[in-house]
Formats: sequence, structure tokens, C-alpha cells
Amino acid sequence: MTVRPDVRLEDMPMRPVRCRRCGVEVLVRKASWEQTSIQWSTPSMTGCAEPPPDRHRTCPSLLESIGLAAAQGDLEVLDG
Amino acid sequence: MTATESDGVRVIEAEAIPTRYARGWHCLGLAERFRDGRPHAVRAFGGKLVVFAGEDGRLNVLDAYCRHMGGDLSEGTIKGNEIACPFHDWRWGGDGRCKKIPYSRRVPLRARTAAWPTLEQDGMLFVWNDPEGNPPPPEQAIPRIPGATSDRWTDWVWTETVVNANCREVVDNVVDMAHFFYVHYSFPTYFKNIFEGHTATQIMKGRARPDARRPSRGPQLLGNSSVATYYGPSFMIDELTYHYEGFDINSVLINCHYPIDRNSFVLQSGIITERSEALPGDEADKMARRLSDFIQLGFEQDIKIWKTKARIDNPLLCEEDGPVYQLRRWYEQFYVDAADVTPEMTARFEFELDTTRPVEAWEREVERNLAAQAAGDDPA
Ligand code: FES
Ligand SMILES: [Fe+2]
Repeated sequence: MTVRPDVRLEDMPMRPVRCRRCGVEVLVRKASWEQTSIQWSTPSMTGCAEPPPDRHRTCPSLLESIGLAAAQGDLEVLDG
Repeated sequence: MTATESDGVRVIEAEAIPTRYARGWHCLGLAERFRDGRPHAVRAFGGKLVVFAGEDGRLNVLDAYCRHMGGDLSEGTIKGNEIACPFHDWRWGGDGRCKKIPYSRRVPLRARTAAWPTLEQDGMLFVWNDPEGNPPPPEQAIPRIPGATSDRWTDWVWTETVVNANCREVVDNVVDMAHFFYVHYSFPTYFKNIFEGHTATQIMKGRARPDARRPSRGPQLLGNSSVATYYGPSFMIDELTYHYEGFDINSVLINCHYPIDRNSFVLQSGIITERSEALPGDEADKMARRLSDFIQLGFEQDIKIWKTKARIDNPLLCEEDGPVYQLRRWYEQFYVDAADVTPEMTARFEFELDTTRPVEAWEREVERNLAAQAAGDDPA
């Protein structure tokens, strides 16, 4: 089986966002204000300053940084 | 007329189904059912296995076909800790070695058959499948389920169903939020996925569907919260809480499968429910049975879709769909050699779905259904 990219990335790709607390970079895509995709890499995983003990939560500092990037227009929101 | 991409018509693409079976732990069902003193045949991974419990109580899994002349060991007899072939009584141990040939002075040097690594845990039997033949890595161990061995929880209520489809269909469910409304008559209001390493998680909250439930005299079901994680390619543990007016019901649901061959698999569910003030005595057992029936109904609903749907490698997604492509990228790690697993397949990926629009649309649809039901023409 070939690994295929998400068809939706043709409309808007993922963009790098830097965490304002620890400086790691992840790839982010926001289809709307309420939707968020986050792609971590091995270096970003090890660089995160406060990985939440509950693995099902997203790092709050990173989420805040993403929200800010979207609000300032640095990160495009497809349906914003 | 033939549709081609140049017409602007989207064409469904599907590669051949992989010839190998996923690397990972697969649950074969409740361990107890293999302890009746007889060998059991299990069709799995494109072949036939024999499961037997020796005198020492250990459950063993071997390739079913005897390496002597091809006798079917699952038709044989358990003698001591060995399985005796019905054809010429060769005795095979759980380690895959022939221990004894009663009519021969000695056992040939090469008398070894395929033995599958097994794990018996929390009442279930697991086998490790690896096309490369490596032992199971400890970091992929199936986590313990504390409720399964606790008196404060019920025993497993288990179901098994043969499904004539490739098992990728059931795994796709992890990310498919909208089908929960249309196929299962539930009402998701929150939906998030996280893939990391060999795990894939779905976090979902939902509310009850007044248009899909018969009004009951008992306490009203308000909704449910679920955290469901696949540990490897086939075994999902779902911590599932049902919220009722005034109390919660905690349950653990297992949703797991093993492939029979490329076009069929055995789909299984297991459920335990916590005993509580709301569910004293055998009320919890009754609830577990009721939930199990409900889960089975959900399986039947999926199966009806899988029976006639097309396999599709290039699904066309809207923004309110879940991360199907990223799930399949994660799933691919179990189909390549361990050395070929790429960081992309295992790196953490998070996807929170925006349920605003779905919830609006579904509220309207529920209203319409209720109005139609009140008017006497039940559309369901
Ligand atoms: S085929 Fe099994 S003992 Fe001969
Ligand atoms: Fe489903």
C-alpha cells in the first residue's frame, strides 16, 4: 500500500508554527477556528517543555501559540 | 460513457489488498473457551491454527498442519502437554517441537513446526503475528485492564462475528465521525484523534438521540464519553461512560479482530461494567448484556455497509471528516518490515474536528425525524 497525502492538503497545506514557550516547531493546519491538525516530529516531541501527563491532551503552550498565530494572521484559517 | 479524471469526474482508486497480515498482537477471544480439554481450530492469517491447553494449563498456538504428513492437529487429541496428531500420533509441544513419535526410536532433527507467541491476560488469549518472525517487542505489550480481574466489575460479555470484508474497513471507523450519526444513530458532539507510535486514539463525546430510541420508563440516557485506543493493528480498548440523569455507568469495551484471510475477518466485542450504587448486584451484569447487544447491533450496522461498499484508497474528504489518510499512514506501519517503519508512520499526529456544523445539521435532522414520528409516519 502506498502512503498517500490527505487530499485536503491540496486546498491548504500544513504550515510550521513555533511554540512560544519552548521554541519547538510543529506543522499545523486550521480548517476553521475550532479545527486543528498538529503534526509532531521526533525533535519537536523531545523539545516540548511541558508535555501533558495525559497523553490525550495537547500541550497548552503550543495550543496558545497556534491560537495566537491564527489570530495575528500568521497562520491561515481556511474557513476563518 | 467511461468516467476519467479529465472529465472532472473523480475516480475511485484501490490497490490490491496487501498479501501479508499485520504485525502485532491479535486477540483470539476469551481464554476460557479453549480450556475444554480439546484442541480448537482457528482460521487466521490466511491459514489454520490449532489452539490447545496442555495439562500444565498453558495455552499454545501452533500451525494446524502436522509437518509429518500434513495431518490436521486441530482434529487430534491433547496428551499431557502435547497435541497428538490424529494421523500417526506424533506429539507436538507448545514450543513447536516434536517431542515424541511413539512408534519411532527417535525424532527427526528438523521436526519443528510454527509456534505462535501467546499472551494470556485479563481473561483473553492473544497471538503475536509477525511475517518476519521476530518476537513481540515489550513496548507493544497489551496494557492491563484493571476492571477485568476485579469483583467490582462484571465478567466479560463477549461476541464474535465473521465479516466478509478486508479488516481495514473496521479500522477506518476510528476516524469516521459522521458515520456514527448516519449508521449508528448516535450523535457525536466532540471528536478528536491522536496517533502516536503503535497507538491510535479516538476521543468522542455524544448525546442521546431522542429520535432513535424508544421512550423507556427507566432513567433517561443523556449521552456518553469514550476514549478508545488501538494498541497495534487490531486490539482496541474503549473506556466508555454512559451518562444518565443523576448517575454514570462505567464500562470497558474491547473492539478487536483478527484476519481470517484477505477478504474476511473475525470481529469481536467484549464488555465489562462497573458495579455501583446505580447498578447493584446483578443489575450490572444485566447492563453488560444489554450493552453487548447494543454493540452487536452497531456491528451489524457497519457490516451492512461493508458488504456492498467499494474499497477506496483515495477517499474524497470534506473538512468535517476525520483524518482518514493519516490513520492509514499510521496503519501502514504494521504491513511493512519493522526496519521500514518510517518516522512519519509513528510520529504524533493530533486532529481535533470542528463539530459546529455537523451538530447544527444533525439537530435539524433530529427535529425533522421527531416531527415525522409525531405525525405518525416513522421514517426510521
Ligand atoms: S501427519 Fe501427523 S503424525 Fe503423521
Ligand atoms: Fe461503525
